[in-house]
Amino acid sequence: MSLFSVLSVSASGMAAQRTRAELLVENIANSETTRTAEGGPYRRKDAIFSSEPVSSAFASELDAQLNGSVTGVKVAGISVDNSEPELRYMPGHPDADADGYVAMPRVNPAEDMVDLMGASRSYQANVSAMSAVKDMIQHSIDLLR
Amino acid sequence: MLDRVTDSLERYMDVLSMRQKVVASNIANADTPGFKTKDLDFQSEFASALSGSQPQASEVAGLPVKNDGNNVSLDREARLLAENAMRFNLASSLIREQIRMVKEAIQEGKSS
Amino acid sequence: MLDPVSAISSVSGLEPLQPLAQAGKPGEFQSVLEGTIQKLEATNNDAADAVQKFLTGENEELHTTVLAAQKAEIAFDLGLQVRNKIVSAYQEIMRMQM
Repeated sequence: MSLFSVLSVSASGMAAQRTRAELLVENIANSETTRTAEGGPYRRKDAIFSSEPVSSAFASELDAQLNGSVTGVKVAGISVDNSEPELRYMPGHPDADADGYVAMPRVNPAEDMVDLMGASRSYQANVSAMSAVKDMIQHSIDLLR
Repeated sequence: MLDRVTDSLERYMDVLSMRQKVVASNIANADTPGFKTKDLDFQSEFASALSGSQPQASEVAGLPVKNDGNNVSLDREARLLAENAMRFNLASSLIREQIRMVKEAIQEGKSS
Repeated sequence: MLDPVSAISSVSGLEPLQPLAQAGKPGEFQSVLEGTIQKLEATNNDAADAVQKFLTGENEELHTTVLAAQKAEIAFDLGLQVRNKIVSAYQEIMRMQM
């Protein structure tokens, strides 16, 4: 795997972290949403990451990828939290049921905020990695001068 | 003069770039559940110089494991990223100097 | 009184010219040149060793390695310039009409 395809590895990291950040932002924004299109309160979403080799237009299939140790990352899926929503006693709420309980999303905004910071940091790390690899490629090209 | 040092430098750059690839892969998978940090044994890869064999990356021991089984430490990877980049930079500068000296010897120092 | 006709006696007091560089006794200039080249090669080997030590991790001191490399480069550049001057001086001498 040449240095060029490593850029794809970092790019996959950036894309995955961005997706994760988007889902976290959605969770935080909807932490109090009681009505959704599917009916019922908002359900917390999470990204499932999985390790995956990257393919690149320039690389050949026979490229030995360091015995499989150099892999990118992919969002394999989005998991939706299907557990029972939290019931909060709010009798005056328009969505309250007969007993005065409202089904609220199981979202902890503080926790997701911290996760968002983590996602941002990971995103930055991937940007740094891509930048470092780009520099190494540039240095190799500079040997020609 | 050119051969011994330049060959070593070239191999050094090879191993460094392989190591950097592994670091980039670790960073990309910093949040993948169950993913274990990988690394090369730099000196032994460098010493097995002329065989041109595929370098072996293995799992790193002793890193704290998070709840989802992932043990990537972004601090460690960021440090390695910077170190590999600087060493690569140094090696490429040294090679460039070797090449320049040979070119000058060929041109006998005359700039035409 | 000058002797009008007498055999031309050999001029005394002259000694045959000594050849400048006798076998086994190098001329001063030649030894200077050889010494310079040897010093250049020694600097080069020092630099090669320093780089090798750095690469294998024996000596991680960056400044030692870089300084040794720089010394070798300067010695090389200097040696090249000296060599060029010598060659052009030689050529100029060869061009002199005798």
